[in-house]
Amino acid sequence: MTAPALRRADAPPSAQAQRVAGGLIDRIRPLAFTFDGRRYGGFQGDTLASALLANGVRLVGRSFKYHRPRGILSAGSEEPNALVELRGGARREPNTRATVAELYDGLEAASQNRWPSLALDALAVNGLVGPVLSAGFYYKTFMWPSAFWETLYEPLIRRAAGLGRAGIQADPDRYDRTHAHCDVLVIGAGPAGLAAALAAGRAGARVIVVDEDFVPGGRLNGERREIAGRPAAEWLAATLAELRGLPEVRLLTRTTLFGVYDHGAYGAVERVSDHLAVPPAHAPRQRLWRIAARRAVLSAGAIERPHVFPGNDRPGVMLAGAVRTYLHRYGVLPGRRIAVLTSGDDGWRTVADVLAAGGEVTAVIDSRPRAPEALRRRAEAAGARVILGGGVTGTRGRLGLAAIEVVDGRGVGATIACDCLATANGWNPAIHLDSHLSRRPVWSEAIQAFVPGPAPGGMIAAGAAAGRLTLAECLETGSAAGAAAATACGFAGDPAPAPATDPESTAHTPVWRAAHPSGRRAAGKAFVDLQNDVTADDVALAHREGFGAVELLKRYTTLGMATDQGKTANLAGLGLMAELTGQPVPAAGTTVFRPPVTPVAIGALAGTHRGREFRPTRRVASHAWAEEHGAVFVEAGLWLRPAYYPRTGEADWLQTVIREVETVRARVGLCDVTTLGKIDIQGADALAFLERVCANRLAGLAVGRTAFAFMLREDGFLKDDCSIARLGERHFVMTASTVHAAKVMEHLEYGRQWLWPELDVQLASVSEQWAQFAIAGPRARDTLRAVIDDGFDLSNDAFPFLACGAVTVGGGVPARLFRLSFSGELAFEIAVPASCGDAAWTALMAAGAPFGIAPYGSEALGVMRIEKGYAAGPEIDGRTTARDLGLAGMVASDKDFVGRRMAGRPGLIDPDRPALAGFRPVERGERLRAGAHFLALGAAPSLKADEGTMTSVAYSPSLGHWIGLGLIRRGPERHGERVRAYDPVRGGDIVVEICAPTFIDPQGERHHG
Amino acid sequence: MAEAAGTLWRPCSPWGGVARPGRYGATAGAPGLHVAPRDRLGLATIVAANGREGALAGRLAAFGGLPEPGKACMSGERGLVWSAPGQWLAVAEDPRALAGLAEDLRGLAAVTEQSGSRAVLRLTGPRARDTLSKGVAVDLHPRAFEPGDAAVTVIAHVGAQLWQRDAAPTYDLAVPRSFAVSVWTWLDGAAAEFGYVVAAG
Repeated sequence: MTAPALRRADAPPSAQAQRVAGGLIDRIRPLAFTFDGRRYGGFQGDTLASALLANGVRLVGRSFKYHRPRGILSAGSEEPNALVELRGGARREPNTRATVAELYDGLEAASQNRWPSLALDALAVNGLVGPVLSAGFYYKTFMWPSAFWETLYEPLIRRAAGLGRAGIQADPDRYDRTHAHCDVLVIGAGPAGLAAALAAGRAGARVIVVDEDFVPGGRLNGERREIAGRPAAEWLAATLAELRGLPEVRLLTRTTLFGVYDHGAYGAVERVSDHLAVPPAHAPRQRLWRIAARRAVLSAGAIERPHVFPGNDRPGVMLAGAVRTYLHRYGVLPGRRIAVLTSGDDGWRTVADVLAAGGEVTAVIDSRPRAPEALRRRAEAAGARVILGGGVTGTRGRLGLAAIEVVDGRGVGATIACDCLATANGWNPAIHLDSHLSRRPVWSEAIQAFVPGPAPGGMIAAGAAAGRLTLAECLETGSAAGAAAATACGFAGDPAPAPATDPESTAHTPVWRAAHPSGRRAAGKAFVDLQNDVTADDVALAHREGFGAVELLKRYTTLGMATDQGKTANLAGLGLMAELTGQPVPAAGTTVFRPPVTPVAIGALAGTHRGREFRPTRRVASHAWAEEHGAVFVEAGLWLRPAYYPRTGEADWLQTVIREVETVRARVGLCDVTTLGKIDIQGADALAFLERVCANRLAGLAVGRTAFAFMLREDGFLKDDCSIARLGERHFVMTASTVHAAKVMEHLEYGRQWLWPELDVQLASVSEQWAQFAIAGPRARDTLRAVIDDGFDLSNDAFPFLACGAVTVGGGVPARLFRLSFSGELAFEIAVPASCGDAAWTALMAAGAPFGIAPYGSEALGVMRIEKGYAAGPEIDGRTTARDLGLAGMVASDKDFVGRRMAGRPGLIDPDRPALAGFRPVERGERLRAGAHFLALGAAPSLKADEGTMTSVAYSPSLGHWIGLGLIRRGPERHGERVRAYDPVRGGDIVVEICAPTFIDPQGERHHG
Repeated sequence: MAEAAGTLWRPCSPWGGVARPGRYGATAGAPGLHVAPRDRLGLATIVAANGREGALAGRLAAFGGLPEPGKACMSGERGLVWSAPGQWLAVAEDPRALAGLAEDLRGLAAVTEQSGSRAVLRLTGPRARDTLSKGVAVDLHPRAFEPGDAAVTVIAHVGAQLWQRDAAPTYDLAVPRSFAVSVWTWLDGAAAEFGYVVAAG
């Protein structure tokens, strides 16, 4: 045998020299694209992989660990090797499989994991130190010293790991999410899936067919087959035409069903615009489908198994089925001199197809001692060398396959020149989706592969996915599965008689590892997992080191991890391990698969909910006004609340907040408190209900009066404080704090529906119905008077502190008025229908103008409540009791209520519990920090010495220094004492004085005024 | 909601800042969706008093009786939409039409004014179903959801009430008022590929 003429893989390829006749490409629509900056041509209907192969490009990337040259192994989504970066700028995306990337005009692709260039990669030296990087390398190498973990090892690993680079700019495209419902979901539009869809669709069921490819038909497009005596393409066209004519059948191409979830829920992603350079205006790039299906047919086909032999990763080594796909679907002959390695009759189809297309088959190596005589004779007649009972023991070529080393059944070796080796080693059913619900697959002796287990819940496997590999079986089982699924949904499903197909043989004896017939192991790296660079030796090493169990094997060697999830690798690894442990494959076990089957962009999962729209936003009634007037907003739960309203000339937020507080204390301020939770409570037993919910007494609450109230959780801790206004004999409205609003409503519903269904109580949330504003300050009454319609007496006698009632404003708009104060000043809260909120705000601002009114935000609100010592969110944090916050005196002793028993637990009535107190810095100029811990003067900081924490702090404009609220052991008994406020996180350590929590107007004269 | 005659207090649409009449999104062909803000509707929640549902049904004959769970009973712009066990949303063409309801139903049900609480959109057109399906997990196929059907659901993370008016199909969608801008932002994104038209409110 003469030495093969090495063709440099990096030499400029002639234009689509590998293109032959036929295929589903549109030859009148040529496309131009670049790969690593070089221009190439292709056709509409190509994938990036088929176009590269058409141009004779075999080298497309470098491997993960050893940086070995890699090419294109497959023609589908199982591709482990040909991962490329697509597009540029903000749209740059890494790890795209060239085998599924649809070619478009102007496509830019780049190889990954190489430096400085694909042909010359510096890190390829890793291949020479292979033994060092073997299985368990990370665990063994990056262990000691531990000080290096974060400083040295992690950056090192991170730089070496990973393949492509993601774009770093914001994704400019739109992603969409939608829901779909159907009776029968058909996963995969190959012959089995289409037959299933037809059977279910004809029965009248609502059918959704999804297929990841952009052309339906599955392997029919990659084979030369006949159905009912005609080319399979005719059956395909007729079937698609009929399906498209059925109104309840929806066919989604470019759509990957990536996950199966409980209760018939499925996730799919549709690549709406990935086949275009830029999505059309208003179109999403991708769409996430959440599909609810009553039944599903899994017709995802099968994935061909590679052979494991030394040098099996060299560009040019391909799956035999993929060679047929490139030939029949894309009109591309992946090599000029093709050799075929097979362990069954299937590989001989590649021989026949290549010959029929006018290609050259240099050799056929069948690992079986015998092959059907007719196949053999035909190959030999065409000039191919046929080797039976032999194998491939090595490959040659620098950046692409130039020759293979073979041995025959007697152990005699030879070197055969070829630039493509097509390998056929049987097919694995694509059962990944079937295991998402934790079902274990079962071993099929017949096809030497795992197939879906029995009785899958709601999902029926058909065709190759069920291990029924022949076309005839696909058509028959598909139709039966579709009919059965439709019948299960209540339709009269009737499987159509399966049409006849041309004969095919699936005779096959799989080979887990190419052994040298002389008994020697062939030398060189024989890859099991191409994506993770896991070799047969790594599997053996894992076995020797005690990681033989499949789950350990996976984690120790990384076999089956990363983007392809071992679609081409897992069974080969299992087969090897089974050989090493001397047990059958099913006894070695199998790993199961998680969603997603193939990578899904995070953007597709988020849809439109990203950035500001990550969560919905609630806007207060005065939002537009506040925005117009330059308010600064703060997020409070989902709400956007005005935090403060800066004016020109104010240097910072503190200056603004001080001005707002001083305005309220001296004149009048207006604050939007629409965010408060408002609950309408009616019914004959409404008061009895509230008595059971609240810990304080409400029996004396008269109509037209408001009470401060609080409720406990069932475990005795404080749940929330609220105000309860009695609007009528049987009509109350409760106002709960903003952040607790939804939880309080739930709590009340729990009481009404579950605890006391016998009580006649009706609840309705009116949070959204009423816009509510606080008008606070000495001129609050004057301001309000200008807005309230004539005839309502606002005098202190007629409408005293805690009064409430219905009024009208603005000439007849019904409103509710409450005499409540959260600031300590004379204050009212007025509720108007939300649709009039904007008008009411504007009217109040106008009415208060003569008195110097200013709007104030949540910051000033917070300052004033701290000045008054009112507990709020930071104090009512779920860990405090009524007693902790000084409310013990209000807890009713003569009634039962939620949380009463548990509030009496020893731990909750311990007098040593931290309790509410006020704090001020002894050095008045010092700043307090919320979160500081209290320590006795001189005590060393320790958990044991900890006496409590500062919960809220504010700069008090009224006092001219910082003040705080906090919880400290026996706080109320210790007014006047000094303690340390220790805040190591921000370097704070100051002496503070414990005082009463009410810093301003302790007698409450102002709010009663 | 009070329509105060002779006042400067003009009610403000929850969609006011976002829903402006015109055509949006894809421009080719007929619009897939027509959107009409429904700002002047009268709304009220009706919660039946314990054990008084039967009597309540009789009293509400003018509304067509009490709809079953998952149903809406509409006659023109007036009707009831089921919203929870023992609870309904009363809908009327004008808030004033519901003014006397609380008194009429005294002792039978708690009636709570909600006219300003919901932001309501009317959606119709050949792609109305596809648009809504992007937000709600409810099956809106004619075999599963027909005129007269109602759902309490979530749309784009926002609690919503949805009822179908006719087979065109036409839907009314009610969401809490404070969420209106977020829901509109979602709708704009969802309907853009179909092209949509906003009618005057």
